[in-house]
Amino acid sequence: MDPQSTIILGKAIGAGLAMIGAAGGGIGIGLAVGGAVQAMGRNPDHTPTIQTNMILGVAFAEAVAIYALVVSLIILFVLS
Amino acid sequence: MNSFWNGKRRFVALLMFLSGVFVALRVPPVIPFIQLPGEKFPEGYNIPFLDIRWTNTMVGSLIVWIALLLFVVYVTRRRPKDGNEVPPGGFYNMFEMLFEGLMGFVGGIAGGRHFRLIFNMFMTIFLVVLLANWMELVPGVDTIGFIHPHVKEKYDVEKDEYKVITTDGYEIYQGFLGISYVNGQCDWISPADEAAADEAAQVAAAAAAKAAEMELSQDAAYARYKADHGEHGEGEGGEGSGDGHGDDSHGETAADSDAATAAREEVIAARLAEKQARADRGCYTGVNLAALDEDYEGGDKAEKKAIPLHPDPSSDEAKLVPWVVLPFVRVPSTDLNMTLSIALIAFVMIQYIGFKALGIGYLTKFFNFSTLFKSPLGGIDVAVGLLELIGDFAKILSFSFRLLGNIFAGSILLFVMSFLVPILPWPFFILEFFVGVIQALVFALLTAIFMNLATVSHHHDDDHDHAEAH
Repeated sequence: MDPQSTIILGKAIGAGLAMIGAAGGGIGIGLAVGGAVQAMGRNPDHTPTIQTNMILGVAFAEAVAIYALVVSLIILFVLS
Repeated sequence: MNSFWNGKRRFVALLMFLSGVFVALRVPPVIPFIQLPGEKFPEGYNIPFLDIRWTNTMVGSLIVWIALLLFVVYVTRRRPKDGNEVPPGGFYNMFEMLFEGLMGFVGGIAGGRHFRLIFNMFMTIFLVVLLANWMELVPGVDTIGFIHPHVKEKYDVEKDEYKVITTDGYEIYQGFLGISYVNGQCDWISPADEAAADEAAQVAAAAAAKAAEMELSQDAAYARYKADHGEHGEGEGGEGSGDGHGDDSHGETAADSDAATAAREEVIAARLAEKQARADRGCYTGVNLAALDEDYEGGDKAEKKAIPLHPDPSSDEAKLVPWVVLPFVRVPSTDLNMTLSIALIAFVMIQYIGFKALGIGYLTKFFNFSTLFKSPLGGIDVAVGLLELIGDFAKILSFSFRLLGNIFAGSILLFVMSFLVPILPWPFFILEFFVGVIQALVFALLTAIFMNLATVSHHHDDDHDHAEAH
């Protein structure tokens, strides 16, 4: 196998592995939204507060996934 | 107007669809060229009075700021005077609705003594980031630009000039998708195959050289034998060692290594000629890699030569270089400089409002030694304060990377979808529309919440409770 292919292989595998971290963010967002929707259903008067807090929580959970994405983007496009 | 278009819009949509099909068939979509840092404009496009070249994300953020300024001027001009009974309409009304809605929204979160300052920051960040994010939906952004050779610039300090080297990103993306966008008329041979052929040529050259050497030594032995026996026969075996090069040096017993070198060079020259033939047809070959990239392993280094950074597209040397589009305008949120600067502004404002509200006592949030010797658990307060300090700096990181990651990933999504499905990538545009709104809202909302958090002091409340309990 020539070095160029090895580099591509390594980059692709590394980027793919880095994106495993996005699974955690997905689970977190699912839990947050699920909980928020349940809360809104039980307690519709408090929807604005719950929504705000949900968006915040989702943003924090998403940030973790975004870190994974940034790492894999750096592996793919910046490393050479 | 309305009556004319009733029932005809679907045909307009059909026409657009068909024209999209036609264009996609006629002009194959271009493989996206993805680069994380903002691309520099060519030489000569400097920012006025500064020795810095424009980057396309800078142009994008400039457009955002100018649009925002025009927006502010328009809205303040349109604001109805006191006593004016005529209700405003149109765009101004929409802005007022947005403004009032967000004012109530922020008031619910941070409606305290510092509401005014917090809301100003919220609205500014929201509008800037929103406009910046939505730029990726504008046709022409990220797609119209300079056509330039895809090379890396390297500043040579000793010679005080920019040197050009090719980048390997080109090879990788070409290798992945297997289509040439430099010249559609060429059979695409991937750089890996080129390199393999180069290596094969090297091996063949080495074999030829070895064969020539072997033959020479055989010849030498034969010559000795002939000299010993006084025979001068017909020689000239004509056996052809690989390329038959050994014949030239037949009988020259002294020039062993010369003959081997000549044999090697002939094989390599054949390989280079093959590459050159493809290059002459205007096709991409590995020739430029060997010629330009010092680190390139395959191919012949002797072929190295300088190619100007922006060669004349009609010239011969231009054919050796892959060409890409450098867009005039790129979405500013895809540049870390922009997101990081807004995150730094937000960070500074959070600290500023903390000091403004709590005075120097704000620092006790981070360096809390007051309870260290008073209570058995005082050490925990110190640790919590230090964690909060670290967390405050982590805010910069998470702010900037959240926006960058979301919008950059969104742009790549749009590129790739436009490449794969050139006719109707509309669902993704709608998705990106909402992602832009949500990210702008999250950025601004988090700033508002952190600013609000910085103005309240849990420390003092605890002390009061403590005092009352005693």
